[in-house]
Amino acid sequence: MRAFPRAHRVAWLLLLLLICAGAAARTATAPVLTLRTAEAVASDWNAVTPPETGWVPVKLPDDWSHRWPRHDGVVWYRFTWQQAQASQPVGLLLNQVTLADAVYVNGSLIHRDPRLVEPLSRSWIKPQYFVVDAPTLRVGTNTLLVRVSGLANYQPGLGVISVGAPRAVYSEYHAGWLIRYQLRLYNQAFFLAMGVVFLVLWLFRRRDTLYGWFAASTLLIGAWDWNNVAPSTWPFASTDAFQSWNMVFYVAGTVALAVFLLRFCGKRWPRIEAALWAYTGAIALCAAFAPRLLGVWRFQLAPIDIALYFAVPLTFIGYALRKRQPEMLILALCLALPLLAIVHDVLRFFEVIRDRAYVASITAPFTLIGMSVVLAHRFAAAMRQIEDFNYQLRARVDSATARLSATLGREHALALANAQIGARLDLVRDLHDGFGGSLVSAIAALEHGPAGVNPDAHAVETLKSLRDDLHLVINTTTHAVAGDLLKPLESLKHRWSDRMDAAGIASHWRLADIDRVQFPPGQSLDVLRFIQEALTNALKHSEAECVHVDVRGTGAALCVEIRDDGCGFDASSHPKGTGLTSLASRARRLGAKLVIDTGPGRGTHLRMDVPLAGVCE
Amino acid sequence: MTAPQVISLRRVLIVEDDVPGQRRLCGLLGTIVGEGLVTAIAGSVADARSAANAGTFDIALVDIGLPDGNGVELIAWLQARHPQMACLVITAWGDGDTVLAALRAGAVGYLLKDRDDAELSHALQNIQRGGAPIDPFVARRILSMLPGALPVAKPEVASDLLSGRERQILGLVAHGHNNRQIAELTGLSRFTIEDYTKRIYRKLAVGSRAAAVFEAHARGLLR
Repeated sequence: MRAFPRAHRVAWLLLLLLICAGAAARTATAPVLTLRTAEAVASDWNAVTPPETGWVPVKLPDDWSHRWPRHDGVVWYRFTWQQAQASQPVGLLLNQVTLADAVYVNGSLIHRDPRLVEPLSRSWIKPQYFVVDAPTLRVGTNTLLVRVSGLANYQPGLGVISVGAPRAVYSEYHAGWLIRYQLRLYNQAFFLAMGVVFLVLWLFRRRDTLYGWFAASTLLIGAWDWNNVAPSTWPFASTDAFQSWNMVFYVAGTVALAVFLLRFCGKRWPRIEAALWAYTGAIALCAAFAPRLLGVWRFQLAPIDIALYFAVPLTFIGYALRKRQPEMLILALCLALPLLAIVHDVLRFFEVIRDRAYVASITAPFTLIGMSVVLAHRFAAAMRQIEDFNYQLRARVDSATARLSATLGREHALALANAQIGARLDLVRDLHDGFGGSLVSAIAALEHGPAGVNPDAHAVETLKSLRDDLHLVINTTTHAVAGDLLKPLESLKHRWSDRMDAAGIASHWRLADIDRVQFPPGQSLDVLRFIQEALTNALKHSEAECVHVDVRGTGAALCVEIRDDGCGFDASSHPKGTGLTSLASRARRLGAKLVIDTGPGRGTHLRMDVPLAGVCE
Repeated sequence: MTAPQVISLRRVLIVEDDVPGQRRLCGLLGTIVGEGLVTAIAGSVADARSAANAGTFDIALVDIGLPDGNGVELIAWLQARHPQMACLVITAWGDGDTVLAALRAGAVGYLLKDRDDAELSHALQNIQRGGAPIDPFVARRILSMLPGALPVAKPEVASDLLSGRERQILGLVAHGHNNRQIAELTGLSRFTIEDYTKRIYRKLAVGSRAAAVFEAHARGLLR
């Protein structure tokens, strides 16, 4: 009655369970009689009593399709055993009845399945246990009559029968019930639960088809396992339909598993996949429209399905062994070990091994756990990757943001500086056009007034010194690059060279190592004013023939020297309050000390050393 | 070396709206030229044009800021209508852009009003002898227009326009040397240096005219 064995079962568990079952059987100390021979006779679906004639001896377990290949209906099995006394009840165990049955002891009915005609009850899923006592039980010969309803296509018949002390027989029954029914029920629940989990996972993430295929495979194989625990053919209308759809679930589940494994390896085999689905579709069509046909072809199709079942995991195992990736090897192990259990089940199917149970399916949860671990591991790895990526992304965004804000900050500072320069230039232009023009015009008006009017010399001088100072302000501001001393100095040099030339005084300038001298604009202006005032003094008072101007950077200081070969003066008697005071105060502002070396008739030598750092304002 | 071209200061058109400024220039010219000085004074662009059309002048001294227009435009007009008349631009303070615009419009030189009378007189005498004044700010502006001065800016002057010697002189001026000092440094005479300066100015004017023609061609104004 069992459909087909399947892969991924854990062999060691199987062994353990068999050992447990054996141990349970051995604990039954009381003698148990196992009936291995019986008489059998066939009858039609509706017979209420066995026919008088036609009984043949049979060995148990019996599959009547070998004897009556086309017999769908009822077969009666009759046993007798001797009972020394009837005071104690007796336990009866029907190891396996395929499919539905009624049981009589000494002509009394002790059990009857709900459905004895199609759609038949499915009593084969678990052993049956009864207790009989007097008066049904007799001293001497007792007769057990089992009326089995079955279909020739689905291995109809009866397993062995045990009679004995209820306690011993019950423990034997319980072991069979546990292994064949209870564990499979758990197993199936487990399959469905796991299938649903991965199905939901896939529904929320359709792109990961791996989970979808795993869910499909698990759910279909779970549906196929329904065969092992279903007490009736519901939801199908007949045994033929039930068995046909069971086969469809099996094939579809296997194909889904194959696709899952292919996707796991990152592969697509379109032609093979198409062929497998075509086969599945053909089986499904057949199940829908000619379920009985599948029952007839069941044994002919079995080798294909079994070959398929072995080919799928074996191909994968071979691939995994070549690739040697840990994930694949674990999955291969999940698939490999149960193949041993499969071998067992296949042999059971062809009745090479006359065992009581197909054992492979009870190993399913462990295989499933292994596969789930692999998938979950893969899922976790993907999540980790995403987290790492997010982390890196955040780091990159942070650094980009930092760079951007630094750039913006720089640009802003630059724009601010440019705006300041622009504002300063505007101011200078205004000074230049307005105030400067008026100043020049005023000087011209005083110097070139109407004939006969003597210009006020002092006023002209004052205006000219204002004009010269304005010149310096404009000059330093135009070269608005902060701290640029060289260009204003060069302009000053040019202007004063011309002025000295016009006055007939030779001027010699030396500007050295000033390129790297950095001053705030205000201090540059002070240096320039110092030089201009010194030159003005030389031009007006020294009567010199030659003036030397020497400005040089010495690393720590800016050294400014102005020397003339003029008349000089007596520094001790020279009245305060003239240009010298102003020069000294300018030097002080620059953090320097004015050194004057002069004397009547030996020229004047002015010197100051402006420290380049820590200039006091 | 050709002899510097002498510019006569006998018949002078002074275009200046500031009366003390007018008087000052007249006074200075009178000192330099003495007998025979003829001056005409115009206080606006319109006056200057009618004066130029009415009389004959050797030279025009043109202030930049005039009540009814810009001195640079007047210089360009004078150059087109009265090319025999030399033009000098007068500016109160050294503004490189203004001076340069005037030079490109055809001015042969410039005068800085903020200088003392002695300097101004000196400059006028130089001009009379065929010299041309130059200051660091003007030299720097010209140098900055040459290719290679600024990597981004479009060069306004063709690289082969100025000779090596001319560039050298511009560089020295930019560093604050006056003509006397440059003469000492290079071993050339002051007149030679001033002649170089003049040639540089002329090239600027020619360069700007060539650029204008090129631009006119490009716009399809000339066939």
